[in-house]
Amino acid sequence: MDVVLSIGTLTAGLRLALPVALAALGAMISERAGVLNLGIEGLMISGALAGYLTTHHLGSPWLGLLAGLLVGAACGALLSGALVSLGANQIVTGLAFTLLALSATSYLYQRSFSIGQNPPRIDRISMPPLVVLTLVVLTIVIVVMRKTLAGLVISAAGESPVSADALGFDVQRVRHLTTVAGSSLAALGGAVLVCGPLGLFIQNVTAGRGWVALALVVFAGWRPLPCVLGAFLFGLCDAVQLRIQGTSTGIPYEVFLALPYAVTLVALVIRGRNSRTPSALGVPFDRRLA
Amino acid sequence: MTTAAVELDPREPELIETGGSHRARHVAVLVGVPVIAVVGALAIGAVLIAQEGENPFAVYADVFRGVFTENRGLRNTATSATPLLLMGLGLAIAYRARLFTIGAEGQYVLGAVMATAFATAHGVRDLPGVVLIPSCIVIAGLTGMVWSGISAELSNRFNTSVVISSLLLTYIATAVMQWLIRVGIKDPDGFVPQSRVIGNAGLPTVPLLNTHLGFVIAVALVPIAAVMMSRTRFGYRVDVIGHNPIALRANEVATGKMLFAVLGIVGFLSGLAGYIQVAGVTTRINAQFSLGYGFTAIIVALLGRLHPVGVLVAALGISGLNIGFDAAERSHDVPSSLVAVVQALLIIFVVIGDAVANRFLRDDD
Repeated sequence: MDVVLSIGTLTAGLRLALPVALAALGAMISERAGVLNLGIEGLMISGALAGYLTTHHLGSPWLGLLAGLLVGAACGALLSGALVSLGANQIVTGLAFTLLALSATSYLYQRSFSIGQNPPRIDRISMPPLVVLTLVVLTIVIVVMRKTLAGLVISAAGESPVSADALGFDVQRVRHLTTVAGSSLAALGGAVLVCGPLGLFIQNVTAGRGWVALALVVFAGWRPLPCVLGAFLFGLCDAVQLRIQGTSTGIPYEVFLALPYAVTLVALVIRGRNSRTPSALGVPFDRRLA
Repeated sequence: MTTAAVELDPREPELIETGGSHRARHVAVLVGVPVIAVVGALAIGAVLIAQEGENPFAVYADVFRGVFTENRGLRNTATSATPLLLMGLGLAIAYRARLFTIGAEGQYVLGAVMATAFATAHGVRDLPGVVLIPSCIVIAGLTGMVWSGISAELSNRFNTSVVISSLLLTYIATAVMQWLIRVGIKDPDGFVPQSRVIGNAGLPTVPLLNTHLGFVIAVALVPIAAVMMSRTRFGYRVDVIGHNPIALRANEVATGKMLFAVLGIVGFLSGLAGYIQVAGVTTRINAQFSLGYGFTAIIVALLGRLHPVGVLVAALGISGLNIGFDAAERSHDVPSSLVAVVQALLIIFVVIGDAVANRFLRDDD
């Protein structure tokens, strides 16, 4: 098991954890306001492609991160229009968005580089600034959720939108804002994945990490810090899997391929019975019915 | 994220309306929204084709020719619609019960690989098809059922979201498949990881139709599913779960068992679809076996309005788009991923159209 404990694996785990951590934080804030955003996977891959293409054309991976964030905000605005304004079914809408994002990014990527051409590597951002970035985001989320009126209103919109409305808060506006902010964070996570040490975009590069992020939110009981710690656990499993694939051990590498998802599933089971679930999660709010 | 919060809300917009006082209007929405969605998606597709410097009308004409006039176009459309139809039927039932499983892909892969493992095992592979085919159907179906049943069990016991657990299980299923074709049931003569050829368990071709037997099985299931949903107690309960599970519990119907039954059906049909794909099309399993049919089937179920007949139409339509675009790609310069974009747009427009129609109808009431 020394492979697990080496410094290399720990850093690789951290590297793989950062995108998931950001996406999980994004998913969490909109869920706290009552909006279940199943488009996280689609947002991550959109952010990843935006980050990659921007860095490729403009040369700066930091601009790539910014592009990821902006694309996430734009997609988030579309999503919140459907989820919040129209009150569309949140599960089906998120799923449909993810399917669209997966195919649209393949399409745009295919159009950008001819077949057979090796997609160019882009400039990369090293680990330390990305770790700092994630910690800053985490701190902001913790402070806003726990220390400000805004955080309280967000929770109210997710727990009892009718009461929040009666107190004069605009539930729809709160939900729009959290959905857009959460979507931006998820897309930023995708951009971090690509503009970070990977420096490359491939089709389906996110490989279900958005779904893992959604599972982590449940695992974390809708709290920011456990979201990030859970992401690190996932990243660690992922790193072990990648390391062991190259070496010849008695255990087939497929075990480690499945491990991060299995661990997430087990974690879900452990945390499953949970009263922290926002009461109005997944329920569209309509003043006329309130 | 408990599904309970989603399921228990009576005010949420309905995906499908059954009965009610505004029947004509509901039918109009039920049929009208997909029609508008098809037109909208094709229109955007046309814009994207024009972006490539191709004439959209010429491309669409070739898509049409690829399906209807080209040699084997219709046959290929029917064949590639088969897994979509089977999985779409199961998903339609589950979604009517508001159990939004997205794990059909994993059940499909696992059902295929288990049936193949059985049919290519030493001593078994020489048995005649009459014995092998039914056994494989049962093995693939049960495998899918068990895999899907895990989601039901986790949801019942631990209140785990079916959406998330079914998807996580898909990744695990894919890993199992990869190990099996690399080590477990590897073809000793192959240079890459792949299973042996399924041989005697291959499906015969149906005369006249010229498609494999699986297509006939899948189409035969459409009326069975339709009758089951509209004429039996089970179908009624599925709809009640979707609309008001509290009413079922109040009448002492075990909703946990319903969860097993519904997700079991999804799993059985998905596993079966996997076996049929091996036995009718690919003949063996390699790393490229999975083409994401399990996810496309979600589009099929929703586009088909969660009704078995609608699912049949949607499966043929989606598969026709694939076959047609494949043909059109040979003579035009369009990226192969364009068809997936058009299909995804279709489902986006249906979802948005439903939401808009719901607001609209509610305003009127």
